[in-house]
Amino acid sequence: MIRLEHVTKVYEGGSVAARDVSLDIQKGEFVFLVGPSGSGKSTLIRLMLRDEGVTRGKIWVAGKDITTLPKWKIPYLRRSVGTVFQDYKLLPNKTVAENVSFALEVLGRPRSVIGPQVEQVLDLVGLADMAGRYPRQLSGGEQQRVSVARAFVNRPPIMLADEPTGNLDPKTSVGIMKLLDRINRTGTTIVMATHDFAIVDAMQRRVVALEKGVVTRDEHSGRYEQDQG
Amino acid sequence: MSRFFFLLREAFVNLKRNFLVVAGAVLAVFISLSLAFGALVVNEILRLNTLAWQEGVHVIAFLRDEGSGGVPPGAHQALLDEVFTWEEVNDAFYVDKAQAWVEYQEIFAGQEELLEIDPTILPASIRIELVAIELHQSVKFKLEQQQQVVLNVSTAAEQIEQLQNLSNVLNVLGIGMAVVLGVSAVVLIANTIRLAIYARRDEVEIMKLVGASNWYIRIPFLLEGLIEGVVGAALAVFTVWLGATRLARASEGFALFRLDVSNQFFLRWGLLFIIFGAAAGVIGSLLGLSRYLREADGTGEDIPTGVA
Repeated sequence: MIRLEHVTKVYEGGSVAARDVSLDIQKGEFVFLVGPSGSGKSTLIRLMLRDEGVTRGKIWVAGKDITTLPKWKIPYLRRSVGTVFQDYKLLPNKTVAENVSFALEVLGRPRSVIGPQVEQVLDLVGLADMAGRYPRQLSGGEQQRVSVARAFVNRPPIMLADEPTGNLDPKTSVGIMKLLDRINRTGTTIVMATHDFAIVDAMQRRVVALEKGVVTRDEHSGRYEQDQG
Repeated sequence: MSRFFFLLREAFVNLKRNFLVVAGAVLAVFISLSLAFGALVVNEILRLNTLAWQEGVHVIAFLRDEGSGGVPPGAHQALLDEVFTWEEVNDAFYVDKAQAWVEYQEIFAGQEELLEIDPTILPASIRIELVAIELHQSVKFKLEQQQQVVLNVSTAAEQIEQLQNLSNVLNVLGIGMAVVLGVSAVVLIANTIRLAIYARRDEVEIMKLVGASNWYIRIPFLLEGLIEGVVGAALAVFTVWLGATRLARASEGFALFRLDVSNQFFLRWGLLFIIFGAAAGVIGSLLGLSRYLREADGTGEDIPTGVA
């Protein structure tokens, strides 16, 4: 589903965020990218989203080489990839339902489709009764659920999550992880960058460890290894 | 269709939500275009007045009465016939003493003390329209040679010539001012819209994240710019029109200077200014948006887009 082939990313100024990274992520997998701050986890997420370009190497997402993707086709790539971020990235002046439906509206879906789909996904994330509230009226965990709902409402085959529990307390984080696990069970491939060892250890999924942009470990049903955090 | 209405709704919601920034953009357009349109109207007023002064009579030759002081009967007609032969003259006509009295009565209507004169003291005259205003000296000289018939020669040509020169200078200044203010309007709109977009860069980022195409992101901003430009320009046109018509009304009866500009002028130029305002708004939006819609290259060195 996602393949990185000898990917290197060097920023202006010479700092290396990824060095010769090769990864093969299968359909339906749940992969944790772990490592300390600055290890290159978020950069890999951004590269898979074509928010940044690689310096060297190739990245295939859903069978397409996104390193040669013309710029005008980037929105089409992003429509097949749901994204969740640490800071939720919700529109403060739109309600929960509007935030979620926004992802469908930009795709030009008719209102008759948007309404039921939003209702369904809000039900899935447990926010059906908060559809009319604004982000500021929600807790951090609830805001992240809205963010997950928006990422999943379009039923993308891939979901990328960059530190989705970074701003949440452990109990709330568990709730978000259960939600992501549920989504993963529907067949959605999930790649999640995190340095929350408790979550990684509890989930027992594939772990790709990074340090200074280099893959140091790639284990199926792996653990975080506390000494890295 | 639902997509279009969604974008239109987004544009209006944004306009309402960012009221102060929008008001700033509208004000920027309004001020720049009011000044530019005002300069254009002043220019038009000057043009109309110069034209009015150039039209009609340029030289008047007041004549001695026939049959007295050695002026033979028929001398007036003879002089008129001669004037017609001069190449500097475009047209000429004779005003006899009776017509002069009628004209006098019209000019001084309501001023009884001035009307209590002996009508016979008013001289007959020949009114001359020149081919070109600068020929007045030569015609005046020729008339002054006819001392037996001509009492004196009056001409406003010199003043008209000076006004014509002033008008030419003002024309150039007016066009220059309109161009400078027009460019300022575009720059002001671009900056204001860039500011508005900067305030909403998170929104643009989120739209990109969920897979909105660049044109899809652009359209609400372009509509906003268009609306701001049109509203600002329409307000400018309306304000200048209102000011000019009020001024024209206040100056009615003031014979020396015309302040009335035709509605056709306002309609034609007003429409052009509104189109200019709309274009300035759209161009400003495009300029303001470009840096936020830039995507990273797929391979090779690049600078991060700024999307966190």
